[in-house]
Amino acid sequence: MSIARHQIIRLGVFVMALSMLMGNMATQHGEAAKPYEGTTVKVIVNAEFVKYAMTLIEKELFDKHGIKLEVEVIPGEAFVTKTLLEFTSGRSPWDLIMFTPTYMADYFRHFEPLEPFIKKLNLRLDLDDIAKEYQISNMYWGGTLYAMPLDGDIHTMFYNKVAFERPENKQKFKEKYGYDLAPPQTWKQWDDQAAFFTGWGWDGSDHKLFGAGASYKENNFSFNWWRQRFFVYGGQYFDENMKPLLNTKPGIRALQEMVDTIQYYPPGVLLFEAEEPKTMLIKGEVPMLVSWTSTGKRVGDPNQSLIVDKAGFGMLPGHQVDGKIIRASPNTGGRSWAISKYSKVKDATAVVLEFVSSPEQSLKIVMDPKTIMDPWRNSHFTSEQFRSAFPGAGEYLDSIKESFGQTVPGVLIPGGSEYQLRIAEMVSRALQKSMTPKEALDQAVEEWDKITKRRGLKKQQELWLQQMAAMKETGVTFRPELADK
Amino acid sequence: MLKKTLSSRREAYFFASPALFLIVAFVIFPLMYSFYLTFQNYDLAIGPPSEFVGLENYTEMLDDKRFWRSWINTFTIIFPSITLQLLLGLGIALLLNRIPRGKTFITSLLIIPAMVSPASAAMVWRMLFGVKYGGINNALMQVGLLDVYFDWFATPARAIMSIVMVEVWHNTSFMMIVLLAGLQSIPQDLYEAGEVDGASTWQKFWYITLPLLKFTMIVALLIRMIDLTKIFGLIYLLTFGGPAGSTQTVAFSTYLSGFQDFRISYASALSYVIVVGVFILTLIFQKVSRFREGEET
Amino acid sequence: MNTFSKYKLQRQIGMVLTYAGIGVALIFFLFPFVWILTTSLKGNEDYFTFPPVWIPMEPSLVHYYRLFTHGNGWLYFKNSLAISSLSMLAALLFSVPTAYSIARFRFGGSLFSNFLLLLRTMPAIALVIPIYVLYSKLGMTNNYFGLILLYTVFYIPFAVWLMIGFIRDVPKEIEEAALIDGCSRLQALLRVVIPIIVPGLAVVALFAFITTWNEFLFAVILTGSETKTMMVLVASYTSGSPTDTFYGEASASVVLGIIPAFFVAFALQRYLVKGLALGAVKG
Repeated sequence: MSIARHQIIRLGVFVMALSMLMGNMATQHGEAAKPYEGTTVKVIVNAEFVKYAMTLIEKELFDKHGIKLEVEVIPGEAFVTKTLLEFTSGRSPWDLIMFTPTYMADYFRHFEPLEPFIKKLNLRLDLDDIAKEYQISNMYWGGTLYAMPLDGDIHTMFYNKVAFERPENKQKFKEKYGYDLAPPQTWKQWDDQAAFFTGWGWDGSDHKLFGAGASYKENNFSFNWWRQRFFVYGGQYFDENMKPLLNTKPGIRALQEMVDTIQYYPPGVLLFEAEEPKTMLIKGEVPMLVSWTSTGKRVGDPNQSLIVDKAGFGMLPGHQVDGKIIRASPNTGGRSWAISKYSKVKDATAVVLEFVSSPEQSLKIVMDPKTIMDPWRNSHFTSEQFRSAFPGAGEYLDSIKESFGQTVPGVLIPGGSEYQLRIAEMVSRALQKSMTPKEALDQAVEEWDKITKRRGLKKQQELWLQQMAAMKETGVTFRPELADK
Repeated sequence: MLKKTLSSRREAYFFASPALFLIVAFVIFPLMYSFYLTFQNYDLAIGPPSEFVGLENYTEMLDDKRFWRSWINTFTIIFPSITLQLLLGLGIALLLNRIPRGKTFITSLLIIPAMVSPASAAMVWRMLFGVKYGGINNALMQVGLLDVYFDWFATPARAIMSIVMVEVWHNTSFMMIVLLAGLQSIPQDLYEAGEVDGASTWQKFWYITLPLLKFTMIVALLIRMIDLTKIFGLIYLLTFGGPAGSTQTVAFSTYLSGFQDFRISYASALSYVIVVGVFILTLIFQKVSRFREGEET
Repeated sequence: MNTFSKYKLQRQIGMVLTYAGIGVALIFFLFPFVWILTTSLKGNEDYFTFPPVWIPMEPSLVHYYRLFTHGNGWLYFKNSLAISSLSMLAALLFSVPTAYSIARFRFGGSLFSNFLLLLRTMPAIALVIPIYVLYSKLGMTNNYFGLILLYTVFYIPFAVWLMIGFIRDVPKEIEEAALIDGCSRLQALLRVVIPIIVPGLAVVALFAFITTWNEFLFAVILTGSETKTMMVLVASYTSGSPTDTFYGEASASVVLGIIPAFFVAFALQRYLVKGLALGAVKG
């Protein structure tokens, strides 16, 4: 008996020692897993809703890595100016930078290339989970990887099924236009339907509703809506000699169509930014809208949407050429993360970058309606959780996935945003009917030439030829003959 | 005597020097730097160093359609605004001048809008003008005057009218105060003498009040006009220059060049031209008002 | 009897119309404040309905709460308070002696008033970048000091302009009496002039406070995350739909931002008409 007791005691001591040892090892391992514990990473973003997005992930980040986040907001326009001011004076109070890839040409020299960090810290960025076209325009510059996306800004179509499925509507439409009423696949159909839906209660009520939604404000929005048509009619930004091709047939046709149909849109459309037409859609006042994919989240949010179970999703309309429909979903730049060259905690920042863009964490961000962020990873599109988030979510995500294969980038050479703003201003003025489309586009070309001259023709041409080649690979070239079809 | 003058000069400098130093360091110096920049091509996106380009910024300006249009836009906002502010301010000041009690209390209520920042005023009215949920449209719809929704900024005409309305709301009190002060400094016996002569209310106003207020009105109008050429906060928050660039004022287009296009040198050049323009404007204004004053006497 | 009562009737009608006119003016100038206040207290059900709910049955402070917890509202309010108060004091400190110098010694002559006019016409944009560059070199871009300094310097010309009028109203004889009694100029200024122009000082101080509180362009550029002011917060709601999703925070931030305006308006009323009349017309 006493021998057994000894043995038990020995066993007990051994077990205790072992568990202490293991416990020690566990703690050590745990400590080793948090090398950045206590670090604070300073983040800069350009809107309150982005800061809100960070609140969704910061607790888990802290639990996993012991890193705290300090998020600062510089609102709107001042963002780029202030960040550039800081960077060009060789400093930055921030480590993790949110930026709009439209300005990549101006920002990249202040960012750290990511490859070295991937190797050094063994980061998992899951790059093959992201569409190739998207990587080129939002993550790379000159072949080097600088950024991870946060917001996948492309356009898809959203519509109110009631408008398209009511038998009375279908009958009336067939009588007037001679073909069946269905969600538009081409711009001709879209314009016919916008005209058709204007001014009466297509939802069965006696309200005077509108034909379609859009955003025509000139601080870039009108440019995005114009290029949806410009490219499918065969347009391209410049030719190989840096001559702007805005005022060619594709451009004029695109703009003319917009001018001819503007009366079917709500009166304030020239001042609309992103959210106003989305609100009109989800409150049942416009039957269809081409807009950012984040619209889907608002559509499916029962707290604000009146069309939760009546919403349809699809790709944006295009142009029928030889029996196929070609589309041009504008990639409007979105938002990406990068590491500041002047940061003092680059490694910790890289870890945060990995965390926030990981499939699981980024899914949280793109699923929440209040963040206004759009999905961008293939895993977002296939996520079971997302697909069951609201009625039609599966359809919605499929439309985005397909659209990613038919996107067109913005002007990605230095001065990109300036080029875009000039054309947007001219498009808006034509829509305002203070100029004809031809006059507006001619002046846009003039303005573009001024910018090119100022930035240096040779330099711009060199970078443009690269972009032109990349676009050619995705099937986008200058084909003015398409405008005649 | 000489000693006294000398020590006075020294004392004068002594008293003024701290403020002077600050102004030189933080106003004159940056102004000179920005003037120097107008001869360079400093672009924030490209970063320093910038090159000397002589008068290129100024010659480019001659061809800048957006800039010239912004002058027209600015005037379409200024002139209705100061006219309305003058008429309203004068009207209210006259009314206030007549009430026996409560003047100071009511005055303090009426100047609150002028104490509020342009940013706050713009945000309040932006929400009030909100198409779907704004107070004004809601009220109009409830009363039945409005049927379908109405966007107060949808066309250039409407946008300018709305901005003028907000500006009038914001700054009429300034006019009112100045004119009230002017009214109160008019001696009562002048009016009594007029009444003895059988003057009607209108005649009293036209022949006594107005001439004596003229100088005050001119000074107030001049100040308001100069302030209005710089109008920025309201534009930025209400229309951002839209629709289609119709409310881009001179200060706003300078902002666009500097903060949207990052062309610091060009934006600085625009600013100096604006200063010259406003200066010319004040000269014209002073000439016109002196001319009319001369006519009277 | 008849003409007398007719005259009295006329006067009474006149008075009624006068009060009516003033009433209309009051409504026009004040209703936006009432509206924004009630809006900031509305919940979603009240804001998004039609017929509109003008006064919420159950006013809620949820937007303010959110502003203060997530939105750092208290920090911004504190910053604005500190920056404006200190700028006000600094402006007084620097402008009184300068104004004295110009009023009594004719320092600078008309050069000064022309310079003032010039400064007033310059759009802020021309100055933002050079000042930013200067400030970054001096490391002053994210602290109170930088902004206070800037506001003080920009406000001094206007303060001086106002003050000159007030000082000139102080009869020279009183000062000269003090000087003869053996006071230095500085003592004369402090003991004799300043007590007399206290109303003028109040006007200048109140204007300084409210002008710096209201400023927004430089505040956006020159403040960092810890030093942002209320106006930056108000302006940050322009994108992302302030009339829509973010109506609550937007209206709450506006209400907080206009509180000083009310105080200043009431504090000023005692001095304003007199003070401005003196300063504006005589300056």
